Amino acid sequence: MVSRLLLSRFAPALASARRPAAAVPRHAFMGIRRYATADTEQHTMTVREALNLAMEEEMTRDENVFIIGEEVARYNGAYKVTKGLMDKFGEKRVVDTPITEMGFAGIAVGAAFQGLRPICEFMTFNFAMQAIDQIVNSAGKTYYMSGGNVPCPVVFRGPNGAASGVGAQHSQDYAAWYGSVPGLKVVSPWSAEDCKGLLKAAIRDPNPVVFLENEMLYGGHVVGLLASYWQGQVEKEGSDITIVAHSKMVTHSMEAAEELAKEGIKAEVINLRSIRPLDIDTIIKSVKKTNRLMIVEGGFPISSRARQFDYLDAPVERVTGADVPTPYATNLEALAFPDTPLITKVAKRALYRTN
Amino acid sequence: MIRPASSLARRAATASSARRTLATTARRCENLPKSTSPIVSKLNFFNSVTGDGTQIPTYRVLDGSGKPLEGAEVPEIDEAFATRMYENMMLLPALDNVLYNVQRQGKISFYMTSYGEEATIIGSAAALDMEDEVLGQYREMGVLLWRGFGLDNVMAQCFGTSEDASSKGRQMPVHFGSPQHHFHTISSPLATQIPQAAGVGYALKRDPARRSKHIAACYFGEGAASEGDFHAGLLLASTIPSPTLFLARNNGFAISTPSTEQFFGDGIAARGPGYGIDTLRVDGNDVLAVLSAVRAARQRCLTQGRAVLVEAMTYRVGHHSTSDDSYAYRSRGEVEERKRVDDPSGRFRRFLEARGWWGEEREKEARERAKKGVMEAFRRAEGVGRGELGGLFEDVYEGEQPWNLVEQREELGRLLRKYGKAWGPWKNELGKFRGEGRDVMGGEGKSA
Repeated sequence: MVSRLLLSRFAPALASARRPAAAVPRHAFMGIRRYATADTEQHTMTVREALNLAMEEEMTRDENVFIIGEEVARYNGAYKVTKGLMDKFGEKRVVDTPITEMGFAGIAVGAAFQGLRPICEFMTFNFAMQAIDQIVNSAGKTYYMSGGNVPCPVVFRGPNGAASGVGAQHSQDYAAWYGSVPGLKVVSPWSAEDCKGLLKAAIRDPNPVVFLENEMLYGGHVVGLLASYWQGQVEKEGSDITIVAHSKMVTHSMEAAEELAKEGIKAEVINLRSIRPLDIDTIIKSVKKTNRLMIVEGGFPISSRARQFDYLDAPVERVTGADVPTPYATNLEALAFPDTPLITKVAKRALYRTN
Repeated sequence: MIRPASSLARRAATASSARRTLATTARRCENLPKSTSPIVSKLNFFNSVTGDGTQIPTYRVLDGSGKPLEGAEVPEIDEAFATRMYENMMLLPALDNVLYNVQRQGKISFYMTSYGEEATIIGSAAALDMEDEVLGQYREMGVLLWRGFGLDNVMAQCFGTSEDASSKGRQMPVHFGSPQHHFHTISSPLATQIPQAAGVGYALKRDPARRSKHIAACYFGEGAASEGDFHAGLLLASTIPSPTLFLARNNGFAISTPSTEQFFGDGIAARGPGYGIDTLRVDGNDVLAVLSAVRAARQRCLTQGRAVLVEAMTYRVGHHSTSDDSYAYRSRGEVEERKRVDDPSGRFRRFLEARGWWGEEREKEARERAKKGVMEAFRRAEGVGRGELGGLFEDVYEGEQPWNLVEQREELGRLLRKYGKAWGPWKNELGKFRGEGRDVMGGEGKSA
């Protein structure tokens, strides 16, 4: 078992000499909107634009909505997600803060207690660790502990999970951490559709929402489906195996599904989107159809959201990040996270087509 | 210094070095760019915020015997206001006496008294506007008493009855909260309320109906001020800025840690100037000084729209809580001595008597009335039962209950139907809830 895992982990590196290509281009196009052309090319937008537009629309709609965080105003956002918003709404609605996550998360929580609707941006969720008490103990628990007297309609958002070449303290995936806290809603969107729709829903939600983005997806024109909020989304239908993933892992899973399709395997890819509440029904419905389940997650193995199901023809496969702080060296970093060849290989294993 | 060989080069070098010397001299006389910090040429380390190395002075109005100090300005108060303050200063320990003993009898699980800090709490509460938003730590029940929260509500929260509007029976005693009285729900982790208060102040500033009318007032102890949240909160309230009044209760102890071990600087007041905010230290056991100080601080807060810090020096006469026996780390003698030498209520009483606003008869009557009121509320609360069991699952989220909670509630219902009458411990517990768990088990008449 151990040697099989080892082999799985080295397979991608052995399979191709060069580094596996990322699903989305590393260079950011900085949000060039393409209009409908004479071709059948759809009007798409980048994930970054979708997030920006969601915030702009909600801030226009409700003047209680405001953004607070480091570099969000004059600098247009560390990852340019809040670009142009200070110019449009002014310094009172887009607030730059000194460097204290504990401070600005706390001020956001307090403002939410008092009736405003803050969007609190963390430069990455790794730094949100410095504010975790405010998020978990205050934002998450106060509505319950105050007997329904004090709601906390705050949105904590920012990049989560794997980036590229930024080392362990910039790369951890916190989906399962926040997902284990009752009182919080936790969302991990993937496509531009997800980001726009779910961020608007999150801002309007009276509960505290942890909105986990991914830096590697910001520049991509990631196209997905959006049928509902707070539920998983079947991005690709299939009948042979269910692959459940969230955020960037959905990209890899979709690619793996294409690879598998070349061998006649029809994989169904579920974009989990909502970590808490977890949409078990969509997964069960899919597993009843395919009888095989695979879960792909960027976080560490002990924290991943694998569950046991009754309709399986094969054991549930869990593909997770390696149980190490993310290494800095590019080659080691590539081996520390799941990628498309690995997902394809493990899918085939679930289908008994490989060792 | 490079000595060039040729004479031409030498002349050029001299000219340029002369230019350099001129420029350096000119620079030495100027300040740093965009700064008014005076330039000095003598090394001078400093570690005091006062100019002369002494401690920050403490503002006081009444002396130990309740007489106004020479040159002190007694705040504007009339007899009604003054006696109301005094009666609340009496009610607080009367309530503390009963509830402390009630905990010792096992009827409530926990309690925290405010002995010794009555002047700090009532004086500051009286200085605030009734609609100023208050974020406390845990020893500010006096603010609620001043604002008319009422003994019944206090008892309901401590006993966790169905009438507990603060927390619906979900929190430990003394974790009060009341939107109606503008008192934010108490939260156990220390100092979390400090940056949140900055946020509340920010929200008030953004509200056209309340801007320049109300502030956020944040209480915390000198121990809690060691938390990172303290720095974060004051920093943000001073930079954003937001109209937040920070009130530090320096009562000498953080459970067993004396303030001499809590910090090395000159108390909490020394930190205020670090954030560039107006700061004051006041004698927390002089209720009139606290009243004046907080009134003035509040006004500054409103005018500047920025943080203001007040440190009230007082003494924690009681134990930290019912889980603490402070005689394990301080002598009984020390406590008795402090009580004798500096009793905030006694000091104010002597002031009132000197004005002819109080006397022995009134004292006796007021004391009896307070005690009677507390005992009545206590007996009444003992008779009110708990709320419904289903409340366990409510208010985790606002809005629709998520599927996992609905599922868990149904599962509990199934288990209770099956074992609720058969298993002793569960049967006993169910009997304490209103409806005896029927709301979870699925209505009247459904049995195991």
